[in-house]
Amino acid sequence: MFTEFFYILRKVGVPVSPTSFLRLQKALSKGLINSVDDFYTSARAILIKSERYFDLFDQVFAHHFKGVELTAPTGVDLAEAAKALLDAWLKDPQAIADALGIDEDSLSKLTPEELIDYFLERLKEQTEAHHGGSKWIGTGGTSPVGHSGYHPGGMRVGGRSMNKSAVKVAMDRRYRDYSQEGLLTRQHMGEALKRLRNMVPTGPKDQVNIDETIYQTMKNAGEIEIVFDRRLKDRLKVILAIDNGGWSMDPYIDVVQSLFDYSRSQFKDLKTYFFHNTIYDYVWEDPPRRSKPFQVDEFVRMDPETRFIIVGDASMAPYEIMATDGSIHIEERSGKPSVERLRLLADTFRHSAWLNPKLSVEWPYTRTINVVREVFPMFEISLDGLEKMVTHVMSRN
Amino acid sequence: MHGAEQVTRFTGGTHYVLDEELAKIVNITMALEMPLLLKGEPGTGKTMLAYAIAESLKMPLIVLNVKSSMKLIDALYQYDTLTRLNDSRFGDSSRDVSKIEDYIKMGKIGQAFVSDERTVLLIDEIDKADTDFQDDMLDVLDQMEFDILEIDKTMRAQQRPVIIITSNAKKDLSDPFLGRCNFHHIAFPDPDLMREIVQVHFPDVSQELLDAAVNAFYRLREFKEMEKKPATRELINWIRALNADPDFRVKELTKGDIPFLGVLFKKSPDYALAQRYVSRSRL
Repeated sequence: MFTEFFYILRKVGVPVSPTSFLRLQKALSKGLINSVDDFYTSARAILIKSERYFDLFDQVFAHHFKGVELTAPTGVDLAEAAKALLDAWLKDPQAIADALGIDEDSLSKLTPEELIDYFLERLKEQTEAHHGGSKWIGTGGTSPVGHSGYHPGGMRVGGRSMNKSAVKVAMDRRYRDYSQEGLLTRQHMGEALKRLRNMVPTGPKDQVNIDETIYQTMKNAGEIEIVFDRRLKDRLKVILAIDNGGWSMDPYIDVVQSLFDYSRSQFKDLKTYFFHNTIYDYVWEDPPRRSKPFQVDEFVRMDPETRFIIVGDASMAPYEIMATDGSIHIEERSGKPSVERLRLLADTFRHSAWLNPKLSVEWPYTRTINVVREVFPMFEISLDGLEKMVTHVMSRN
Repeated sequence: MHGAEQVTRFTGGTHYVLDEELAKIVNITMALEMPLLLKGEPGTGKTMLAYAIAESLKMPLIVLNVKSSMKLIDALYQYDTLTRLNDSRFGDSSRDVSKIEDYIKMGKIGQAFVSDERTVLLIDEIDKADTDFQDDMLDVLDQMEFDILEIDKTMRAQQRPVIIITSNAKKDLSDPFLGRCNFHHIAFPDPDLMREIVQVHFPDVSQELLDAAVNAFYRLREFKEMEKKPATRELINWIRALNADPDFRVKELTKGDIPFLGVLFKKSPDYALAQRYVSRSRL
């Protein structure tokens, strides 16, 4: 039963496993499901394993049981985007006006409602005109709206389903907010990085060393002698510096994101910094690289045993790395070429590595990659490369 | 389906307001004998659900609080070598030193397995442990048995416990893990449901205070750029604080005054930000 439903779910990209589908059949055959409502809740609980897919599930459910059309960007989505635009407008009218190429003054005369309408029009034009092109309503980039943009409504509230039919609930698409195109965590990445740990005995001596206790007790002619040890704890410090700027890194956002997600959950003592292309006087603690600058000189004061890992494609114009004042950001004028900064870091942290999302076969063709490779040992972000990187930063010398 | 299960249907606890959807999911999970994985914002009652199930089905509740350093074996059983060593030296206990079984103590999962009655096993904050722990544990819960190496004995569950697993994690758990659980995400309650929840906790709260507090609460949740928004737990504590303060008048709330902000916002940047918002809205 409902095989077609199952396959539509798979087709739209919801990871549903046959096992869970069989389980749903079991629930059906046991007579646990007696209405469409029951089916909706049970199917969701059994088949869907992440709230990210709740929204898609709702859509498919409405489509399958009510014939609601499956569409990508709906009017509602546009309305939300328009709202986001309005909000951004209120914060910084100049920037929005620039981004849309319209006159700030003429917009400021409109009422909020008119403004929303105006934005809606613009957005519609744009979605029609730019399907998959270099859209300005996109993820990342300089666009003021989009996935990573700010959501004015806040987290939408699910509420109760008591007086509504399941189809209606599904049509409401209550879970839209959770569905923002998530990335799959890379299981392998975890496997490869698992060996990045440094177990050190710390804390009070509160763990009984049984073997030693028995041995000492024997030596003591049976008089009990309990031997305590310190606990082993992972004390590995990791600094992750991520290149999150510019177009050149865009194709790799996926893979870097999962690397970052994984490390954040894995390492107790992880600091993350962001930079664009290469490192000058500052790195940033916030991803937009605006509010929390961190002086590179400060790194010198950190524990030299920290594992310093840079993630970036190291691809840029040669002058950016070689010339004094090479930064493409006009406000970054340091008087030192970036390569010297990188050398400082490499000297400070003896366990350091550069992870490059580009395939290693492409490296020789980019000049700046070669420059960086002279400073940092470079590894590609692949199962193999990560493995090698771990071996390198964990080696004793 | 067993007759017993028909009777054990879950309808909500005395301190837990259950939405119908969740009740259905709990019931179907129990019928399918699968663990239920709950996710949701902290403070939306994931842990409370297990307590409510235990209470309403009159089953004993066993709580396993997962810690990051925890090994699976700790949750299953413990072999108490030291006591045995001690007994062999002094021999003043009733235990038989040559019988290792006397020195095996059951961990939380073990307890749920050996219990004669059906129990509710709450595995709280599973995301704290590493993935190996999670997968291995699910194996045990799937098979409903584990081996005690020291005495070469297999422990089987007498009664399949009702297993509730909670996770705060934003990231997903591993695929094999998810494959063996049913899943539900507890959405943040809407104001109506929230009123009900508050009333369950404070049966004699005045309508005036209830409305004012819930309104203020949802207004506070809308503040931008908060690291941790206040959740149900914070609201309950806040109302408790308001009730305890003899000088408090409901009018203050409607005027936009928010006493005890610290109960709602626990991170210092959030607190400072909230204070700024509040003082601005009062002007």
